[in-house]
Amino acid sequence: MRAFNAELSKLLSLPGIWLAFVIGVLAPAVVAALDSIVEKADIVAGISTRLSDIGYIGLGFGVQGVIIIGVLAISSEYVTESSEAGEGQQITTSLTVIASRLQFLLAKACAVIVISVLLCIVAIMTTVLATQLILGEHAPEFEWTRLIGAVCYWTFTALLSFGITLLTKNGIIPLTVLIINSSVVSFSFLLTKATKLAFYLPDRAGMDMFMSERYLTPVTGGLVMLAWVVVILIVAAIEFRRRDVTA
Amino acid sequence: MRVLSSKTFTRILGAELDKLMTLPLIWLTLMSTLIINVGLAAAYTSSSLQAEAGTFTILNTGLASMGYVQAGFIIIGIVAVCSEYTAGQIRTTLTTIPWRGWQLTAKYVAVAMVTIPAALIIAATGVLYTFIMMRDTASVAIEINTLIATLVGATGYLTLTSLLSAALGSLIRRTTPVLVTLVSYYFIVGPLMRDALPSIKNYFPDTAGYYMYMVPYANEINALTSVQGTGIVMVWTLILIIIAIVFYRKRDA
Repeated sequence: MRAFNAELSKLLSLPGIWLAFVIGVLAPAVVAALDSIVEKADIVAGISTRLSDIGYIGLGFGVQGVIIIGVLAISSEYVTESSEAGEGQQITTSLTVIASRLQFLLAKACAVIVISVLLCIVAIMTTVLATQLILGEHAPEFEWTRLIGAVCYWTFTALLSFGITLLTKNGIIPLTVLIINSSVVSFSFLLTKATKLAFYLPDRAGMDMFMSERYLTPVTGGLVMLAWVVVILIVAAIEFRRRDVTA
Repeated sequence: MRVLSSKTFTRILGAELDKLMTLPLIWLTLMSTLIINVGLAAAYTSSSLQAEAGTFTILNTGLASMGYVQAGFIIIGIVAVCSEYTAGQIRTTLTTIPWRGWQLTAKYVAVAMVTIPAALIIAATGVLYTFIMMRDTASVAIEINTLIATLVGATGYLTLTSLLSAALGSLIRRTTPVLVTLVSYYFIVGPLMRDALPSIKNYFPDTAGYYMYMVPYANEINALTSVQGTGIVMVWTLILIIIAIVFYRKRDA
């Protein structure tokens, strides 16, 4: 528990974390608002085909916020301090204090999960508020099951970026690839055009938890994504246990 | 900015190039960009081959992956500048080269010197791969002039994108926020804005840059010519570079 508190405090005091919060909270609301404005005429007329997805698209993009959290949680440990500060890496201190590497990872992962869940709940609130303000009485009902799907999607994505960064140690490339992949022009979306197997990639499967245009059922989608998360975290944990601290 | 002798500037440029070339992340990024580009070219080619004949051209298919490849060049621009700030290297740099404006200019020139050949190679491999795969099916022959113009446009776009990222990098100075800002602009805000604000989309660096290398479809309305596109991206880049240099000279390092 003390390790968890320590990790939470480290995570919250990272210099880049404000960006994650701003993106995570504002992006879904702004996208939902824009989407509602564009679709408003159709929705009022009752001919919109996308009414059920309003707001959820924003939540799909807002996942960037938790990607940043997952990546930063690890990459910040491996940043080399300036020569004035002894050129050390935080990871050596962290592992001196918490000698068990698995316990360290567990505490860190829990901190990432807690912050992602909270961030997603706030994002859902701003998104719902934005659609209510713009669409008024025409605003779609937000179903609890789909919202829980969105929370799971955010949490799993955060853990996925956490695991990938644990393998690469440097945050720049995972951050870029993952953010691009959460955008409109994602690699996996491109791949679904080429092969049906791409629907089982973690982000596609995860989106099925809350988008209405889906390939897998929400539960299967969630399980597929969870399987990806578990596999990547196990591989990363094994690698992390065997690796020399600063190697 | 004080006038420097050309010999001094050459030595500054040499130092900046040396620093850039010895950054491991630059090479890693270039290599992965090249590999990803070939992979994407393969994906686009196979999906184009399945599409109806006549709806695609070799050039547009070969350069379709540019949208992703630009991420690699954004990283190069940012890393080149922000690596100075991660471990306090900037103080050593400014001790040895106390002319800030020239030092930063030299850095941008060095970035361009690395990205121009890299961009050319990467853009050319994409087109070459598509050409080899589609040679038998595509009936349209490529005119050599169009080919050269397109490759030059693509190279110019990638280089200007690198420089723009480098300029923003020296303004914000922290790798992660710059990276997130640029990547989410180019990949999320940009595409969304193209749909939401079609009237002014042509004046932003991503859409204007698109016209630098894409052969516009005949039925596309209000498309820019490649010269107009180049001009707009150049203005954005130059303005950001000038702001970056002004701030760099005024600010505490």
